[in-house]
Amino acid sequence: MYPATEPTDDVLVAAAAAGDEAAFEALFNRHRRQVARIAGRFFAQREQIEEIIQDAFTKLYFALHTYHGTHEASFKAWLAQITVNACYDQLRRVRRRSEQNLGELTETETKDFSSQLRVAASDVETALVSRDLALKLLTRLSAEDRLVLTLLDVEGFSVAEIAEMTSWSISKVKVRAHRARAHLRKVLCKYV
Amino acid sequence: MFKRNSQNDEHLDRAGKIVLRAAAADEQEIERAAAAPFLFTRVRARIAEQLRENESGGWQSLPLIAWRAIPAMALVASIAGGLMLWSGSSANAPSAAITTVGFGMYEDALTDTNDPGVEQTVLSRNNLSHEDVFDMVIERGVVENKK
Repeated sequence: MYPATEPTDDVLVAAAAAGDEAAFEALFNRHRRQVARIAGRFFAQREQIEEIIQDAFTKLYFALHTYHGTHEASFKAWLAQITVNACYDQLRRVRRRSEQNLGELTETETKDFSSQLRVAASDVETALVSRDLALKLLTRLSAEDRLVLTLLDVEGFSVAEIAEMTSWSISKVKVRAHRARAHLRKVLCKYV
Repeated sequence: MFKRNSQNDEHLDRAGKIVLRAAAADEQEIERAAAAPFLFTRVRARIAEQLRENESGGWQSLPLIAWRAIPAMALVASIAGGLMLWSGSSANAPSAAITTVGFGMYEDALTDTNDPGVEQTVLSRNNLSHEDVFDMVIERGVVENKK
């Protein structure tokens, strides 16, 4: 166990890479909330977030020997990158599964959603959009669109940060964000 | 007109941000997921499973190898079948009644199901019968016994 001495992330990574399971557990306990928070931006259900936590830490374990941290924020940024990639993979899987079920909203859902969006668009502070309806609508976006828009508009990352996280070029992030926004507008204009 | 379009886009972008935020989990759900029981045990189990899968990579790649090998094997089998049919039809030709197939062996000797091919070849090349051979074997046995 490592709670008393509080070693840095880099020390724990080195120990975990050398086979120290307690060091890996210490890393897990220290950062699982960060991973859950990122996963929570993409997935609403607890089970899905738990799945991402497991997936991200499994990927982290097998990539430990590739980590070469140099400053305090390195490990956090690296873990965020792994988590975002795990979320992206999961979004693609979910999208593949739900591709056949991309039906239109029911008449009642459309009415509810339209009124919610009108209020939301005019008064952001009091906006309250149903999560189920929002999730249903967002299945129409590709995994890439959803990823880039969430990172830009919900998490508030810069284009450069997203490029680093996704290993895409800056121009690809910009183009993808532009297309994703256009796509989301197209989806929403039916209801606003 | 352009102003109206850009206003409309802004309006939709605002709505889009709200939809994206609405689709996210709330803090309680995030906290519950992060504090889920046995989460680290499940991570360890997944790592162990992946390690096992990596070790048994040979077994898992077998279906892929089979998938690639089946067409090649089918091709070889069809070529072999074709050659067999071709050689069968040429053996039935009248001119091939007694033909050698290499190493001085007669084709009849090789295709005769009653006698072993080599025996038949030796007998036919030396104008011997089975009785002659039998006598030779007996004589050799008697000589060796006298020694």
